[in-house]
Parts: sequence; C-alpha cells; structure tokens
Amino acid sequence: MILALGLSIIFALIVGIWAARSKKAESVILPLLDIFQSVPVLGFFPFVIAAVYGVFPDFIGANLAVIILIFTSMSWNIAFGVYEAVKAIPQDYFDLLDVARAGTWQRIRSIYIPASMSRVAYNTQISWAVGLFFLVASEIISLGTKNVPIQYGIGVAVEQFTGPPFEYGNYVLLVVGIIGAVIVWRFLFLREFALWSERFKMMEEPRETHRDPIMRAYSWVSARSVSKLFLLTQGRGVTRFTSAISRFSRGLKYAVAIFAAIFLGLILVAAASSGTLYLGAIPSLQSMAATESSVLVALAYSFVRVWYVVAICIAVGLPMGVAISLNFKLYDTVSPLLEVISSIPAPILLPLIVLIPVIGHEPEAVAGIVIFLSIFWYIVFNVMAGVRTIPGDLKDLPHVFGVGRLSAWRNVYVPSALAALVTGAITAVGGAWNALIIAEYFQPNPSQGPITQVGIGIGKTITIATDSGNLEVLFFAVVSMTILIVAFNLTVWRRLYHNVTKRYTYNR
Amino acid sequence: MSQQQAQPLAGTTIVAVEHVNLDYHKEREPLPVLVDVSMTAKRDELVAITGPSGCGKSTLLRIVAGLIRPSAGKVMVLGSEVKGPRADVSMVFQNFVLLPWRTALENVLFGLSPRKDLTEEQKREKAKAALEVAGLSGFEDVYPGELSGGMKQRVGVARALATEPRVMLLDEPFSSLDDLTAERLRKETYTLLINPQTSVQSVILVSHNVEEIIELADKVVVLSGRPARVVGEVEVKMPRPRNKKSEEFFQWVDKVYTLLS
Repeated sequence: MILALGLSIIFALIVGIWAARSKKAESVILPLLDIFQSVPVLGFFPFVIAAVYGVFPDFIGANLAVIILIFTSMSWNIAFGVYEAVKAIPQDYFDLLDVARAGTWQRIRSIYIPASMSRVAYNTQISWAVGLFFLVASEIISLGTKNVPIQYGIGVAVEQFTGPPFEYGNYVLLVVGIIGAVIVWRFLFLREFALWSERFKMMEEPRETHRDPIMRAYSWVSARSVSKLFLLTQGRGVTRFTSAISRFSRGLKYAVAIFAAIFLGLILVAAASSGTLYLGAIPSLQSMAATESSVLVALAYSFVRVWYVVAICIAVGLPMGVAISLNFKLYDTVSPLLEVISSIPAPILLPLIVLIPVIGHEPEAVAGIVIFLSIFWYIVFNVMAGVRTIPGDLKDLPHVFGVGRLSAWRNVYVPSALAALVTGAITAVGGAWNALIIAEYFQPNPSQGPITQVGIGIGKTITIATDSGNLEVLFFAVVSMTILIVAFNLTVWRRLYHNVTKRYTYNR
Repeated sequence: MSQQQAQPLAGTTIVAVEHVNLDYHKEREPLPVLVDVSMTAKRDELVAITGPSGCGKSTLLRIVAGLIRPSAGKVMVLGSEVKGPRADVSMVFQNFVLLPWRTALENVLFGLSPRKDLTEEQKREKAKAALEVAGLSGFEDVYPGELSGGMKQRVGVARALATEPRVMLLDEPFSSLDDLTAERLRKETYTLLINPQTSVQSVILVSHNVEEIIELADKVVVLSGRPARVVGEVEVKMPRPRNKKSEEFFQWVDKVYTLLS
C-alpha cells in the first residue's frame, strides 16, 4: 500500500508538473486523467491481473497487480493536485527562475515540488481512503480469480475469516484493528504530513474569515480538522477536471485514443498470457451481439441501482450535512466520528451486513447498503464543506430579518450547499459504479459460492466473467460501462455542474 | 423611552448601549474583546463607530443587532432590552449578503417574509417601493450576479428599508465599493435614511474611513484597539451639506484621527 502511495506521488509529480508547464501536454493529460479518474478501476482490474500475472506468474505478479490497482485508484487525484498547485505559482517565480537561469532539475526541485507539497498532502488523505477500499477489494478479487498466493493483506484476512466457518472473534478483531490503523494513520501520520506541508504554501490561502472573534476561534479549530481537508480537495478536484475537459476538447481525441490504446494493449497482453490469442478465439458477430445485448440489460439494472442509492444518499446527506455544519458544537464532535466511519472500507463490512436478519437475505438490499456505505461520505462531506464556506454574514442573514427556519433552509442554506452537492454527487456516482463490483456479487471463497448476489447487474457480470476467465463478456461489459460513464460525465454532469455553479455560488 | 441622562441637544434616546463587555474563550483563557462600552444614538441621529481594524466595531454592531449576546451589560432599543434579532432593527452588510439564487425583488421579499400581517401582494408592493426608493426601479427581476457592486448594495439597502425598521445598522456599507460608486451612494444614504418619510429613527454606522464618517455622522464613537474601550466621542457640529474640501471638514477629520492614534 505504501509502495503504491509512493509510486502515486512520484507519478503525480511528473505528470502534474508536465501538464502544468506544457500547453500541449496539458491539453492531452487533463482529459486523460479525467477519463482514468471517472472509469471504474475495478472493472479493469481483471485485465490487469491477467496481464501482469501472465508476465510474472507468481507471487510477485499478484502483488504487482494489486499495487498497480491501488496506484491507479490513488494517483489521478494527486496528479490533479500537483497540476493545480504548479499552475497557481505566481508568474513572478518563473521570472525569478529565468533571471537566475535555473536548469530544469533545479526548477523542479526548488519551486515546483515545494509548491505542490501541500496539495499532495491534502490529496493523499483522500487517496488513502479510496486506496484502502481498493486494497481490500483487489486482494479479494485476485484471490477469487486465480488463487494467487498473496499471503498477507487485509483483503486476504477478510476472506479467511468470513469464508465459512465464519470466525466471529477474528473478524471483530480485524475490523477493530482496521479502525485502529485508520485512526493512527490518518490522524497521526497523514495529518502531520499535511501540517508539515503547510509551510510550503506559496501564499496565504483564503481561510474562512469571521470578523466576529468567537466565530474566528471556531473556524480556527475546524480549519485544522482533517475532514475539511478531505472534502475540500475531493470536491474541488473533480469539478475542475470536468471543466478541464471542456477547455481542452481538442486534446480529448488524443486522450481517448491513448486510453483506448492502453486498454487494448492490456487486453492483448492478458489474452496472450492466458493463451487465448489466436484468430479462432475472436468470437463471431452473432455471439458478440448477444453478449452486448445482455451486457446492456445488466447495465440498465445497475444504472437504476446506482441512481436510487445516490438519491437516498442525497436525501439523507444533504439535510444531515447542512445541519451538522450549521452547528459548531455538533460539527466538532460529529466530523471526526464521520471520518473514522467513512474510512472503513465497505467490503470489509459486507460479511456483517449479510448477517443482518431479513435484510441480509435480500441481495438487493445488501447491494444498496454496500453502495451507500461506499459513497455516502462524498455527499455528506461535500455538503458540509459547502455550508462551512458560507460567510458568517450570510448565515446571520435569516436571523437579522427574523426569517423562519423553513424559509432559511429553503432560501439560504440548501441553495448555498447545492454546488458542493453536485460536486459530491459526481464523485459519489463514480464511486458507486466501482462499489457495484463488490456489492452485486461477493464471493470471497470460490469453493463456497457467493455470499450475496443480485439478479442482474453489470458488477455481477464483470465479477463472474473474471472468475471464469471469459474475456469476451468482460471486454463488452467494461467497455460499455466505461462509455456510459464517460458519456454521462461529458453531457449530463458537465451541464448540470455548469448551471448550478453559475447561479448557486456565493460570490460577494 | 429611556431617560438616562438629560442631554439637552437631541431628542429621545433610541439606542442605548450600557456597559457592554464581551469576552471570548480561546484555550480556556477569557480574552476580552469589548470592555465597558457605552454609547447612545438619539432620534434622527447618525452615529458612527470607528476604531483600529479588528478592534471589534462590527462585533459591537452585531451585539446591537442581537446576533451576539454580550458577556455583561445590555443594549436597549426603544426602551426594551435587546435579547435577539428583532423586527425594528435592520442591517446593511459590508459584502451585501444577497442571495445569488434570488432576483433583486426576491431578495427584498426575503427580508419581508416573516411579516404575517401582510398579504403576498402587499409584500410585493412594499418590496417594489423599497427598490424604487433605493434607485433600482426596472431591476426587479435581475439576479445579483448581473448587478454592479453599487447596485448590489442598493438592493441590500432596499431589503433593510422594506422591513420599516426603527434602527438601521450599517456595517462598513461602502467599503467594498469603488471610490466613485461609494461617493455617490454615501451622498444618497443620509437623505434616504434620515428624513421625515422613513420609519428609521436612528442610524449606526461602522466604518474605518474617517472622511466618510465626518461626511455622514452627527456623532462619532471612537474605540481603542484590542480590547476595545470607548476612547472618546466627537459631536460633529457641522452644517449639511458638508463640503469635503473645506478647512472646517479637515479640522473635524483631524480631531477623530487624534483620538484614533
């Protein structure tokens, strides 16, 4: 995991700086990062395993595959952070470098990297949570596929303890251990990293400023809470990518081409290594059409599943986030709690959810809960951030005019959280597609059969195809899902985001 | 009405700040922000509060508005103690604080929304009238994002005026505007607020711009730096309209500067 994180940071620095300093690179890299970011990484994982495992058919290959997956889940976000940080360096500094006739390496070391440090630190915290989710998922998947000898890991432990016989003691121990590790890691290490990186800040970033000293004291405290970092970067990132795409629609073509090339290359390697690469293996048109139509049906089911859960998340998360953020005391107590809960990877809890009476036997409900647990945080944290950034005066406004609570919510608080809500929803939907792969069909131990599975769904299709090594189905499922998601991002989300930010952003 | 002192100059006292203290607690140490602040605003008076930046001017204004409770002391408005935001006190903010997702008219209506005694139709009439008084007729359906800073502040003034307050609080109302716009709005503000037609009986203005204060105020309350105490009061006995280039004007400005430093 740390290895993957290190790789991610290095990758992010290179790509981010490159994109920020070269117009040409920028126009291709930004849309490319955006596609990578919005595509469900888990869908590609089977190909990665097949490809990497084909090349290194042993212990190393399996671990490498896991590292690559976690890397892909973490690095885009950090790369965007670096890009934005380097972009934000004032022109004066570049002039300074020119005057000093600094070489490339010197530029990178003396200005670019220090300038990026604080964003790297912030975005790392987000990536960490995301990465943990994938770590568990990927170890489980890779085990399910090939019985690959990854001997140690959280995912491995989950599988061991939950596959019958269900070992309660060990399982509880495991969950407690993970929570403990999460707390230690996030609150001690990552937080220190973030605080340490503060001194690399180029300029005073606009903080919440209250003229009222009481509020200032509160914002001092809350500015230092990790959740704030978490939400700010998470949301800001995604939305800026979406707008980045529109700015660089010229480079989009190349980005899509590069992405497709990478994907095809992956499939070829996978196919070659599994020995199915010969002409006869290319399926007939009819079979492809049949596959595609069944994939489309599954996609439709999953689409509905994703959206009803997102709708529930919004219905719960919006009022909850607003209420928490409006109340300082509540915010200070609840937000660290939410952080801890949110960083427990949902797949770990799945075996527990299955045990809930009645609901646990309802695969549709189980899937809903797992998706909910994977994405709810994006919504609630983003809404919280949105409301936190409302200036104190705006919060006072309903009081000054004695406006009722209902009207205050309808006219002031909810509208001011809308832009953040859309941002959070974009991320949440992306996360939901990923979560499907675990939520719709979960089989920690191949010999025992799945412990939960829905009737029809793209996640189930992908998982089963992975397990049975059916590259044809896998190919169509992943490609269709990717196209749907990217197309949806480019059309619906972009427009919605544009409209909402245009009106529902508070600028003085 | 409060009959504290028999000051011969003006009419009845509208606002009385009586020995107000405010502490806030940071790391358990109580930190005084306001120490024994007393001041009054009388009928048809525009009182300005000034002081070094960050001294607590705006905090004091928020105490008068009932948004912050003082640690000790009290504020009386029209003879009754301020225990929270009230209908007869209204406020104009430095950064306008308009709802960007509502039109100019809807923003004014938002201020009127708690009025149960009016029908929707009457509220609309009132809101339109207030916008007209503030010089914004024809802009009812425009969103704040499409208005200039000066016009935004006019919406802010209209919103405050529409509620027919007795006391109007102005929190640095001109300081986010460019000089020319601020100049024009300043000129209008005084006549807009202090005239026989409006409901407004007293205005309290917070500002750090001494020339602005001398141009507008009948009385200036000067606060010290942290913690804020009243270091002096200046009655600006200068006939209106005031010529900003006159020798007399500069003497008044100097007087306030002396107290400030």
